[in-house]
Amino acid sequence: MGRTFVVTAGKGGVGKTTVTANIGASLAKLGKKVVVVDMDIGLRNLDVVMGLENRVVYNIMDIIDGRCKINQALVKDKHLNSLFLLPASQVHTKDDIDIDKVVDIISTIEGSFDYIFLDSPAGIEKGFESAVAPASEALIIATPDVSSVRDADRVIGLIENRGVTDISLIINRYDVNMVGKKKMLDFGSVVEVLGIDLIGIIPEDKVVIDSTNRGEILVSYVNGSPATKAFENIAKRVNGEEIPLMDFTQNRGLFGIFRRRR
Amino acid sequence: MSWFHRNPSSDVAKERLKLILVQDRSLLPNDQFERMKGELINVLNGYFEFNRSEIRLNIQRNVQKTVFEATVPVISVKRGK
Repeated sequence: MGRTFVVTAGKGGVGKTTVTANIGASLAKLGKKVVVVDMDIGLRNLDVVMGLENRVVYNIMDIIDGRCKINQALVKDKHLNSLFLLPASQVHTKDDIDIDKVVDIISTIEGSFDYIFLDSPAGIEKGFESAVAPASEALIIATPDVSSVRDADRVIGLIENRGVTDISLIINRYDVNMVGKKKMLDFGSVVEVLGIDLIGIIPEDKVVIDSTNRGEILVSYVNGSPATKAFENIAKRVNGEEIPLMDFTQNRGLFGIFRRRR
Repeated sequence: MSWFHRNPSSDVAKERLKLILVQDRSLLPNDQFERMKGELINVLNGYFEFNRSEIRLNIQRNVQKTVFEATVPVISVKRGK
């Protein structure tokens, strides 16, 4: 049976879709069979981030409405044979989603995949609910700023109320230099106020935008960049390996980033 | 205060965040608030006679703490048992 995660944040623009694609791809590189599901009905983007927009034929609403079978809607990744996208519909709205049917679809594919990631839309309305309902675990994405952490806190409360107890935090777009200058919240403060387990920190890294421009998932496109390593480490932790956090505690420039704890 | 002596903005952010979360977390959703009110009335009913319409419930927040305040004008105390 596969493990089903919701990737969510509350706030928009913090990197839910990028994180979903990269962790999914990293797990596929580890040999896992992965499907990433775009739950942003009406504003789909996961296909674009993965560079698969020209290969989308059917989408999750077509499955719900009986126009296609689940397998027909799955789009295989360009590079990774064990990574699949289940696209969102672009012509429907979130109100058109039948949450029970989404839960049915996901529980059907849980038998054929190791990992399922549901990329939640921003907000806490029906789109969010339909991304949370099938999941038993959650990855909360927050950037180190007051608005994002506030929204993350709200979303954590909502998810806990829905019975998801396995909740981990990913801090995205972390700028070690700004933290060193005390111009950005440090990860310890974010973890302290949110009170959930930290599973990884993704450093601000210009290669993310560059690869997204090209429709390439970063971890398939750039080897060894700080963000690539961070995504790969998170994937390994999700997969049960014990990988120490990159050392962000000392401001040592790039060398500090790569220096492991102890 | 001169520009050079201002608090680091990360400290300001952390302080603001803590205060905001204290407020956010103390907000009871409407349905929960109504449920609590019902349960509270049931409990009080075992000990006091009072007028339901005169009950005033209030959650007040300030910088340091959140206070839940219930005002229940009592008509009489129920004796016995």
